[in-house]
Amino acid sequence: MTLLLDIVTTAAILFIVSAGLLAIFGVLEIVNFAHGAWLTVGAYCAVVTGGLGLNPWLALPLAFVTGAVLGGVTERLIVRPLYARPLDAILATWGLGIVIGQLITLWFGRDVQFTENLLSGTFHMFGTSYSIYRIFALAAAVAIGLGFAFLLEGTRLGLSARAIIMNEALARALGLDTTRVRLVTFMIGTGLTALAGVLLTPLTSVDPTMGVSWLIGSFMLVMVAGSSFGALAVACLVFGGAQVLVSTFISPILGGITVAVLCALVLRISSKGFARV
Amino acid sequence: MFDAVETDTKLTLDGVTSGYGPVAIIKDLSLSIRKGEIFALMGKNGMGKTTLLKTILGLVPSREGEIRLDGRSITGAAPKVLIKSGVGYAPQEQPLFTDLSIRDNLRLAVRSDRELDAALEHVFTHFPFLRDRLAQKAGTLSGGEQKMLILSRALMLKPDLILIDEISEGLQPTVIAQIAKALQAERAESGTTILLVEQNLNFALEVADRWAVLKLGEIDDSGIAGPDSRERVLEHLKI
Amino acid sequence: MSDTLATSLPRSAAVRRRAAILGVLAVAALALVIFGPMFLDRFSVNVLTRSMIYAILAITVDLLWGFTGILTFGQAAFFGIGAYATAMLLTHIGSSPTLIGVALVLAILVPVVLGVIVGWLSFYYGSTPIYATVISLVFPIVVTQLIYSGGTLTGSSSGMVGYFGLPFGLEGFFRLSGISLVIVAVGALIFVRSDSGRILTAIRDNETRCAYLGLNTQRIKILLTAVLAGVAGLAGFLYANASGVVAPENTSFVFGTELVVWTALGGRGTVLGPVLGTIGIDYLSANLSGELPFLWQLIIGALFVVMIIFLPNGLAALVSRLTRRGRGEVVAEAGPVLVPEAPLHHMTAVDGPLLSIDKLEKSYGSQKVLEDITLDVAPGELVSLVGPNGAGKTTMMRCLTDGKESSGGVIRIAGQNIAGMVPNQIVALGVGRKFQVASVFESLTVSECLRMARAALEAPSFVSASDKLRLPSAAIEILQLTGLDKLLSTEVSLLSHGQKQSLELAMVVALEPRMILLDEPTAGLTKAERTTIGTILKKLTNELGFAAILVEHDLDFVRDISSRIVVLHQGRLVLDGSVDEVVNSDIVKTIYSGGEHV
Repeated sequence: MTLLLDIVTTAAILFIVSAGLLAIFGVLEIVNFAHGAWLTVGAYCAVVTGGLGLNPWLALPLAFVTGAVLGGVTERLIVRPLYARPLDAILATWGLGIVIGQLITLWFGRDVQFTENLLSGTFHMFGTSYSIYRIFALAAAVAIGLGFAFLLEGTRLGLSARAIIMNEALARALGLDTTRVRLVTFMIGTGLTALAGVLLTPLTSVDPTMGVSWLIGSFMLVMVAGSSFGALAVACLVFGGAQVLVSTFISPILGGITVAVLCALVLRISSKGFARV
Repeated sequence: MFDAVETDTKLTLDGVTSGYGPVAIIKDLSLSIRKGEIFALMGKNGMGKTTLLKTILGLVPSREGEIRLDGRSITGAAPKVLIKSGVGYAPQEQPLFTDLSIRDNLRLAVRSDRELDAALEHVFTHFPFLRDRLAQKAGTLSGGEQKMLILSRALMLKPDLILIDEISEGLQPTVIAQIAKALQAERAESGTTILLVEQNLNFALEVADRWAVLKLGEIDDSGIAGPDSRERVLEHLKI
Repeated sequence: MSDTLATSLPRSAAVRRRAAILGVLAVAALALVIFGPMFLDRFSVNVLTRSMIYAILAITVDLLWGFTGILTFGQAAFFGIGAYATAMLLTHIGSSPTLIGVALVLAILVPVVLGVIVGWLSFYYGSTPIYATVISLVFPIVVTQLIYSGGTLTGSSSGMVGYFGLPFGLEGFFRLSGISLVIVAVGALIFVRSDSGRILTAIRDNETRCAYLGLNTQRIKILLTAVLAGVAGLAGFLYANASGVVAPENTSFVFGTELVVWTALGGRGTVLGPVLGTIGIDYLSANLSGELPFLWQLIIGALFVVMIIFLPNGLAALVSRLTRRGRGEVVAEAGPVLVPEAPLHHMTAVDGPLLSIDKLEKSYGSQKVLEDITLDVAPGELVSLVGPNGAGKTTMMRCLTDGKESSGGVIRIAGQNIAGMVPNQIVALGVGRKFQVASVFESLTVSECLRMARAALEAPSFVSASDKLRLPSAAIEILQLTGLDKLLSTEVSLLSHGQKQSLELAMVVALEPRMILLDEPTAGLTKAERTTIGTILKKLTNELGFAAILVEHDLDFVRDISSRIVVLHQGRLVLDGSVDEVVNSDIVKTIYSGGEHV
């Protein structure tokens, strides 16, 4: 039972962490290698909230707004000139990640920071006890998933984004403002990533390089998922599940590379990954 | 022949040269289209017809010359500006979002969802079959129905000028007749100017007032649509 | 055989001068690394030893990324493996001169083997550049995690220390690393300027064209990955000896990204830029990180971002731009001498038709683009493929040059079924394809482009750029007709559109094909250029016995040069006959006036 919960909640956390990257990759076809830095920014928003003595839940909106604003600036200055050079965009965003990491270090120091728990305690169900927070993460993942589903299926912005994903030339010919859609998508993606950073704080230690360890896993999951949130959910469940199983039964260290290795193999076999799910 | 007075002209191209990268597809082309007329631009593949439409719409940059809409220069304007100034476009290559519903395809043609219902009612008058099939994916329509959807989308905002790229391609004569009827009805109702790019000369000469033949990016021949046009145009079109 | 057609300024003199400059530079660099320790303090000797080893790695990154266009974060892993192989052997088995020798061999061999595996994973027909980058990220992560889980065998997170390597002092290692760096740098410089080395740039510019010149680009990239993995392993061996300690960080992808940052700042695609960039930044980092630890990283990161956006070719590009402007203009150098070559007859003669298509079919999902196409083409024929838009002409051309395209039916070229073959295999059967948009190599010179077309026939040199260019006389004739023979050392990006079209045709003819496929070869050309191309095509088919298949919209051109016309309509072959038959046919009139059913 605990194993099952572990699998589902691990998948949920992977989904939360990767969703912002997917939104950006799906619409802009740009891999945002500063993704880890945005997670870190979000986590430090939680640190700031705690430092000011505010309700820890306020960190969520603070992180979203901070992430989105910084994301807007980034899209305009760094990403927009590089749409035609996707490999260079990876490098430039990676460089931006270094800059953000160092700025945080200069400001807060390189030590591990502690944040107030959003939710603590355990939860009793079917005779086992389980961390309430991990259950909450599951709910948050579902909420994010549903939020995106609504955004994509129910709003004009989502319709425009889908149109751009499917056929950008046609979208432009019909007079859609592709520049604006890209900007807004990037802001939503980075805002969401910063929010994910807050949600991570009870689960990992907060330090200036915390994001990097999450970057590769989410990057690989997004490569497999293409531009579909459904496919991302499936990928998180399958590979997150594999990670839990390997960590439990073989070695936690090998568990750490399960997602990356399996994703690479899936892509080798089918270059579209799970995108058709 | 094309020296109409500017106030009567809807669209003017003045010595336009355009193309991709270093290649000039349209070469020093001048053309003017009067308000409310249907103009058929014909020519074989690769002669620059589609590029010309894309140049007008701002999808392909023009390197020389000027394009004017209602006497105002629109050279270099982005597609969204043109669409906003009342231009409709029915493209030929990959013209639909096949995985989106018919409703969403049409919805992308309006600027806000408030305009949607009125615009839908407008196109239903031409193609009533769409009304019951809004939820269906565009890719599941037959070839002829897809073409009618493409045209409907261009008509959504009741544009003053419609650019139509080979709408008749691969269609049965009965479907072509329906499309011809819709075009004529739209013009009769709103005085719409229509620029048709065509290879089907039966269809083109039936609906058009004037025609021109494009060859290698230049106007090779032109005339007023009439009984003698068919043989003359065919000489240019046949292989 | 070797009567020269065009004599121009002595090219060999220029080559010799360049070799002399390289020699002088190499000697000066050697002197620097040998006498350097006398003038440097211990700290600098120590840091620079490390920097020079890293510079070797930067060269490998530059060859992969700067020259070939493969963005890789994986060189750190090969480096780490070389270092760990050395440290593990010396720790667990013991240290002796023989064992150090074994360690050196292992430090190179293990990365080479892994390089082949990584290369095989990364490069296959249809793989994308981003996929290779993905693999280059995953690989170091796997290696790092394996080291962490290796227990005492790998020293886990604390790394390995306390083994006995080469018995050199601080200064000895400085000199060893320096000499190694000079050797690798000189080797790389010679290689990238050689005829073989230009293939890397050709792959970066236009991999599709390489494949359609018969080059197996996947194999070349795998080989390059393996060799450079070996070089990185060698650097790892040096590092393990010089520093006396290896740690998991040495294999990490973060270190891999640092190598890319240094290469980018120094100037990708220049060899020397990355060397200087690496040494400069690493040395400055060591000096400054004590005082401004995070600020320094911040500056490097910000500089990197700005550089990638505004100056993608790094500082070296800026320097060369400034010096070039200072000199006023680039000195035009004479190209190689054209040498007409008798056909190599690399292909056996065929009985029966050269191309035989039987019931070819192509569909996307339920939509049939081509259906029931049956057609034979014999040597000496010039067949034009015509039909309205969407008739399936370009699709058909694609099916003829890529055995994985068709969805049904059989295509035989020279009697051989091409099902499942990739383009470079089909080229080997004697097929040359000219694309609609001129597909050439923008950053190569005209003669280098032509040499690429010969690379699959005669292996190019790894060390020198030949001053002779052997071509079939038909190709030389195209060059002379179009004036390209005067522009042999001109960079292709400076050519006009028409010149590029002619160059591509010359490249295709230089392949010595038996059949040429041309997709709208006259699109965007002037009248005079069209006439020239038409003359060349007629000569190739009538006199030299090539077969040619042409997709073309310009009717006058088609009428003028075709021996046969095939009409496609809605994916079917509706007519196949002589020019007169087709032009006067009622079916064609119906199709072109918009009739539906034929």
